[in-house]
Amino acid sequence: MISYAVEQVSTYAKDIDFLILLICGLVGFWFFVAEGVLFFLIFKYRAKEGGKAAYMDGTDPKHTRFISWPHRFILICDVVIVVFAVKVWMGVKQTMPAPDQTVRVVAQQWSWSFQHPGPDNKLDTADDIKTLDELHVVVGQTVQFELVSPDVIHSFSVPVFRLKQDVIPGRAIKGWFKTTQTGSYDIQCAEICGIGHGAMVARIVIEQPERYAEWVAANVATATVPPAPAAPAPAPAAPAPK
Amino acid sequence: MRTRFLGVWQIAAVTTCLTTAACEGPTDPMERGAARYDQCAPCHGTKGEGKPELAAPPIGGLPRWYVLAQLDKFRIGARGAHLQDSPGLRMRTMALTMPTARDVEVVAHYVSSLPRATSAVPTVAGADAARGKAAFAACTACHGPDGAGNPQLNAPPIAGQADWYLLTQLNNFKHGVRGANPKDTTGSTMKAVAVALDDQQVKDLAVFVAAMPRG
Repeated sequence: MISYAVEQVSTYAKDIDFLILLICGLVGFWFFVAEGVLFFLIFKYRAKEGGKAAYMDGTDPKHTRFISWPHRFILICDVVIVVFAVKVWMGVKQTMPAPDQTVRVVAQQWSWSFQHPGPDNKLDTADDIKTLDELHVVVGQTVQFELVSPDVIHSFSVPVFRLKQDVIPGRAIKGWFKTTQTGSYDIQCAEICGIGHGAMVARIVIEQPERYAEWVAANVATATVPPAPAAPAPAPAAPAPK
Repeated sequence: MRTRFLGVWQIAAVTTCLTTAACEGPTDPMERGAARYDQCAPCHGTKGEGKPELAAPPIGGLPRWYVLAQLDKFRIGARGAHLQDSPGLRMRTMALTMPTARDVEVVAHYVSSLPRATSAVPTVAGADAARGKAAFAACTACHGPDGAGNPQLNAPPIAGQADWYLLTQLNNFKHGVRGANPKDTTGSTMKAVAVALDDQQVKDLAVFVAAMPRG
């Protein structure tokens, strides 16, 4: 159902959508039951001529059964949600499948840059390809990403993957995804990171192996980066929005 | 009944007009530029005085043509798209948030109307302004003997600019962080000059130019 609005492009997107729907379904059911009972009681016990309020101190279980029984049912629903959530969490966050490709994602105010492994498929070698605004991966491959930030906290969010992971300065946070179809999709920052946060966007381009190889061949020659200049100004972190 | 409906239509019409006006903002260029500048002020300061701690240079009073040209460069990725230019990356994104070319024009107009920032406190150590004066001879052909700039040559005024910013930009030009992008046709001229400078000359020049009186 959610996929009508936002496509499912990672292997675990459908599991996360199922969780969202499960929670919406269970919470929604109890919401409508509670509202229905509320309005029914408001209507039934509306002000009437000669009506007299009864005093109930809650010690008689017969008087509290409309609260205690729903509580028990809702507790069962909570357990169901937790069981399914832990199962998905284990699959997405607690396991790290052997990667076909490893990329480094640099989040900084207010742009995304990416380090691809290049023809040797190894990161931090001379043939790495660094790009701004665009991450290229091969469809169907398991991609391991390493998230780093030189300034403030960001969040690497790819809605079609149902992926959202904070990027913390001083840490290299790893995660993975496996794509299911080709296309070009949004990457966005999901953590307020300054006045330009809303415009901190990029694209992930998922390609067939042949197209990816062509892209690598076209970009590897220009991947050399000149040495860093002197940095007289202190490393700044621009202000948050007003 | 007819009167009531007429009233509803009148309210709807007035509300629509007010909403549209609010969305479009002020029509006066200066007011619209001031409104648009709200996005710039957190880094560049309310009067365009700059904030070194955020690597945001003083921009108040820069010529309109230069501000416009730089904003355009940021918007097309000719400047601020190098991975080692963190302040430039920030400025590029902010320039892209301006929805229309008209907004770029009015904010450039507003920035040029701001007072020139007073000379900043020197921050670059280990430099010799006297040596910088000698090295400045190479700059005068474009920027003029008094550093006042020359719009015909796309050379901005540089006299009195903050020394840390001059140092950063000279280093950026020297190392190809700025001016190396094929879309930056005017920056490439500056890059060609900066490449010939050694690190000490860059420092000396930054200090000398920062100390020059503003025109």
